[in-house]
Amino acid sequence: MRGRPLLYRSYEQDGGLLNTAAKRWWSAALLAVLVWVPFQASPDLVLLLATAAIAAIGAIGLNIVTGYAGQVSLGHAFFLGVGAYTAAVLNGDPAARSGVVGYGLDMWIWLPAAGLVAAAAGLLVAPIAFRLRGLYLAIVTLGLVFIGDHIFREAESLTGGVGVGRKAAAPELFGFSFAEPGTILGVPLARDQGLYFMGLIALVIMALFARNVARSGVGRAFAAVRDRDIAAEVMGVSLRRYKIYAFVISSFYAGIAGSLLYTISRFLEPGTFGLLLSVQYIAMVLIGGPATISGSIMGAAFVTLLPRLIEEVPSFVPIISGEAAGGFLTTQQLEQFLYGLLIVLFLIFEPRGMYGIWARARNYWKAWPFSY
Amino acid sequence: MSTTALEEPRVRRISTIVTRLEQHASETPERVALRTKDLGLWREITWGEYWDVVQAVGHGLLALGVEPGDRVAVHSENRPEWVYADLGTSAIRATTMGLYPTNPSAEVGYLLSDSGAKVLIAEDQEQVDKALEVKDQLPELNKIIYIEPRGVRNYDDPLLMSWDELLALGAAHRAAEPDAIDLLMDAAAPEDILSLIYTSGTTGPPKGAMLSVRNVEFAIEALVEQGGFASPPPHAGDMLLSYLPLCHVAERIFTVWFNLSAGTQVNFAESIETVQKDLHEVQPTIFLGVPRIWEKMHAGIHIRARNATLLKRLNFRFWMRIADRIADTLVAREGNHTLGTRILYGLGYLFLFRSLQDRIGLRKCRFAASGAAPVGPETLRFFMGIGVPMHEVYGMTENSAVATANRPGHVKLGTVGEPHPGTEMRIDEATGEIQSKHPGVFEGYWRDPDKTKEAFTEDGWLRTGDVGEWVDGTHMKITDRLKDIVITAGGKNVAPSEIENALKSSPYVKEAIVVGDRRPYLTALIGIELETVGDWAERKRIAYTTYADLAEKEAVIELIQGVVNEVNEGVARVEGIKKFRMLRKELDHEDGELTATQKVRRAAIASQFGELVESMYR
Repeated sequence: MRGRPLLYRSYEQDGGLLNTAAKRWWSAALLAVLVWVPFQASPDLVLLLATAAIAAIGAIGLNIVTGYAGQVSLGHAFFLGVGAYTAAVLNGDPAARSGVVGYGLDMWIWLPAAGLVAAAAGLLVAPIAFRLRGLYLAIVTLGLVFIGDHIFREAESLTGGVGVGRKAAAPELFGFSFAEPGTILGVPLARDQGLYFMGLIALVIMALFARNVARSGVGRAFAAVRDRDIAAEVMGVSLRRYKIYAFVISSFYAGIAGSLLYTISRFLEPGTFGLLLSVQYIAMVLIGGPATISGSIMGAAFVTLLPRLIEEVPSFVPIISGEAAGGFLTTQQLEQFLYGLLIVLFLIFEPRGMYGIWARARNYWKAWPFSY
Repeated sequence: MSTTALEEPRVRRISTIVTRLEQHASETPERVALRTKDLGLWREITWGEYWDVVQAVGHGLLALGVEPGDRVAVHSENRPEWVYADLGTSAIRATTMGLYPTNPSAEVGYLLSDSGAKVLIAEDQEQVDKALEVKDQLPELNKIIYIEPRGVRNYDDPLLMSWDELLALGAAHRAAEPDAIDLLMDAAAPEDILSLIYTSGTTGPPKGAMLSVRNVEFAIEALVEQGGFASPPPHAGDMLLSYLPLCHVAERIFTVWFNLSAGTQVNFAESIETVQKDLHEVQPTIFLGVPRIWEKMHAGIHIRARNATLLKRLNFRFWMRIADRIADTLVAREGNHTLGTRILYGLGYLFLFRSLQDRIGLRKCRFAASGAAPVGPETLRFFMGIGVPMHEVYGMTENSAVATANRPGHVKLGTVGEPHPGTEMRIDEATGEIQSKHPGVFEGYWRDPDKTKEAFTEDGWLRTGDVGEWVDGTHMKITDRLKDIVITAGGKNVAPSEIENALKSSPYVKEAIVVGDRRPYLTALIGIELETVGDWAERKRIAYTTYADLAEKEAVIELIQGVVNEVNEGVARVEGIKKFRMLRKELDHEDGELTATQKVRRAAIASQFGELVESMYR
């Protein structure tokens, strides 16, 4: 009823994602800004934003298994790799030189397939999680990264091998390529803008789906497993089933993200999918905010844009060098150093991440003129 | 239409609350009449459904042998079944009688046997148990209908029947005799007693005031249609929250009569404890509060503001100072803004008033009323300042609550307003008693001709028992209850309620009872408000355990002394409180210290705390 947003008369109204006028307005405004940005920002920044949007899909995936369901996973890089290679193999040129496999399939096949193959990998890994938790699970998933790394390096017919690599999938959907200048609905789009919109659309769909998983019975079961697995089981939440769900959904997201991510760089190198990549995604989740979708997006944007910010540092701080060798610290070292530092700082001071900062600011105004 | 000539001549029906319901149901069957909170949702009940259930209840009661003039008692919190029962009873020309949910078993026994109720509609196990405990004293009672089956399902008393069974019984009876209710509605007469409303009984046992169809129709005309209790008059877009006991005439007006005449939407609060939250959700446009509710809201705002963070605290303090100035102007100009205060209010609305009103659930409120008991003007002034259009109204059961009201734009703080048009009021020269005369004046006390006679003057005016005076010739100011007037040993007449209300305006004081009849000076018994004083003590780092412990703390006594001193400054010297004592327990209905409407029973206090009172005169 007008002006009475809290007078719920149906559960649909109560459970609506945009259940108040204010939320509808702000969401529309945010969407308008997101559509407007690529026409204003410089192409390299737009590409970076496209990367952030796709990375956010991966971060949401990790957040589902680690944030919502509480199963620490260091193996996210492996699933990203599975997705990326599935897409590359399915899309690759069948007539190409040098013996890498390719089937030349369209995006509508390779994109879901990348997710599904990664999900299948997740299904294989999930049984490990039934019996392990916490540190032990972390170590096992760490092992997964090393096994994956080894396979990617050695399976040369699929990955091209170390130092050689292969072309990544090209985002061509029914003849329309997001990665080449083109026109859509009469609006001319440059390559960066095309990729940006591809990332944005994928992110919106995946984020909405994840949000709905999180606020449904499955999401509540995840939270129960995370908060106390024994208590959850006593309440009738099957650990086995929900840990499988968590790993499968999470790796599906990683597969989708992996397949799309390298359409931007257009090139895949087997050495990419190591521990460092996993750590980057963990940083996104912890900095953004565990168990939140919007936090995952904020975290992904932050971690993706951080290198760009750091590039500016050498011009202000002389002991940090922009060159690969030289100075006290290189920008790359600084970057890794900062990931670590930020994770530590967030865990200590704001365990709910950037989302927590936002929530606190929002609640401050929501409670106006009181504090509770 | 030309065909009417061919039809049988119809009996001309008189308008009653039931015909009004039927009319809404036939004109706008799909519109929302009632809302009730069920599993977190506000379930909507349309006029069509409303009328349907009421007919089923009416038929059910007929099937149980209820005849015109019989009494049907309702013992429940506010909920749709309450009004279904009320209207179903009225539809078959029987009389509804309500009990307070807090009435203990002994009182339930008294009220049911005094009224001779034939059927009792009880909400749940708690109320059923109270009635079963005293069923031996109730020869006339032949059915107890329970609404909530939880806990009662396994009772095997032959008196018991569930609400669903009643509806099923009604449906069967309706199929057999579809015209039964129509015929009874045709036969309705202005003298039919719609309701027995028991007065709270501060001095003796409760008396049942009989309100007839005529009384209620007059009250509806004066209070609703002519805008006596909300002007412009209530309309179908208005939202109300029903939360005060429906057996009290005031809530009956705002919930049932407003709804049936103007078609306002009634929202039933989940319970009295959740009123704050329900208010926030419903944001009613018309709201009636008793002083206790307003005082509590006022105290709550201050506590929460004090516990806010620095910026919010400063913001609150600054704009409350502005609100104070706005209130000064409003009080001086009978509730009308000047251009200056309008601008100030507009600015304050951005920074504080809008969100504050939203939090207390009165942002959409166009008419707030305080009634049913005297209220301290300071409390009303506070709400006027923050933009809640506050009006004190006055009435009593015996005159169907048709007496006086402050009207928008003619508000005189400290008065209860102007008499409604079409009514006569006078002040007795000798005693200062307010007396009234109009078609809303009740038909008498149930089975008590002596008391009925006492209630009227020789020349047929209703004696209200309140002492009052005219202010500027238009507005009425109530000084006190006639029986409560204190005459000190020095021979000075003092109205204790004025001092008591001034004391109660302090957020720290919940109860104040002024003593001094035939005594050399005035004293008071003061009960603290646990929530605010507790909060204050925590802030001062004073440790306490219980209510009694907190009330006896030196610092708390000093705090209350401060309040008393402040009040003393505002009154004449003889009316000052010389000494006071703290009450060591919270007054309670169960212990007989309060009536069901939370009014103090002075006699009970005098006997229970006699020692404490004496200690102030030694």
